[in-house]
Amino acid sequence: MVKVGMPVPLALLMTMVVFAGSAQLAVLPLLVSGAPLPIVWVTALLVNLRFVIFAAAMRTYFSQLTWKQRLFAGYLNGDVGFALFLLRYAGVRERGTTFQWGYFFGIATVNWVSWQAASVAGILLGGLAPTEWGLELAAVLALVAVVVPMLSRVPVLLGVVVTAVLSVVTIHIPLKLGLLISVLAGVLVAVVAERSHVSEPVDLEQPA
Amino acid sequence: MNATHHVGYVLVAIAGLTMVTIVTRSSFFMLPARINLPERVERALRYAPACALTAIVVPKIFVPNGELFLSVQNNQMWAVLAAGAVFAKTRNMLLMMTVGMAVFTVLRLYA
Repeated sequence: MVKVGMPVPLALLMTMVVFAGSAQLAVLPLLVSGAPLPIVWVTALLVNLRFVIFAAAMRTYFSQLTWKQRLFAGYLNGDVGFALFLLRYAGVRERGTTFQWGYFFGIATVNWVSWQAASVAGILLGGLAPTEWGLELAAVLALVAVVVPMLSRVPVLLGVVVTAVLSVVTIHIPLKLGLLISVLAGVLVAVVAERSHVSEPVDLEQPA
Repeated sequence: MNATHHVGYVLVAIAGLTMVTIVTRSSFFMLPARINLPERVERALRYAPACALTAIVVPKIFVPNGELFLSVQNNQMWAVLAAGAVFAKTRNMLLMMTVGMAVFTVLRLYA
């Protein structure tokens, strides 16, 4: 973030409160170019929609907690916590035990601390690397690592190809609207493609 | 000088982004149990992140400076292809990062 010109205090604040790596990396080029705020937010929303699915899959384990505890649990529920928690508890009949909550908050705490430590180190040290090393590419690679495991089925592959082509074709549409157009078109193609693939089973627990 | 120097703009952006994190992550933790995600909606939601990330990554690689750069001399393209292949095979993040950056650096220095 600092690498592309964001002041260090703002980068630290962003990491501390937003706490969503893929979304942060995704909106960074938009922030640098001064894209309209609704476009920035909608992009983050699209990237984060997977968390809605996570929350839907995990809600029954947390329904007895108070609303503040649920809000907090949700905020901490990233990719790692989701994957590890369901790996252990997906099959159990009794949901919402204190042991399960302890396991969840334990993972979440360790994940939060290590994630923030790595982010802060990156923000403070990243500026030391010369620009020609191409550290910006590392951000692209990190996003590629999130996308690749999602490409296991034909519909999503088709959607991604359509989005990829359109995102380049529409690049000069003002207000970065090409981004939204290409994403919506890609999702639409994937959904339509899926209709003709209905017999294929869907694996729900596929963390990103 | 770029837009991230405008502190107010970035602060408002961060406030909204934090709301996005909270709203998406806590969504179904907060809703009454009778409200469920219809399967069709869930499937559509599943495709959005992959498409959104693609829409960010692809222009970064192929339109680096506002100009289409579709060429064998596009070092970033080769780095991403190599790293993506490594990750698809191994699911090892550190390895894919290393391979990607190594391919990019070798091409940058010697190609």
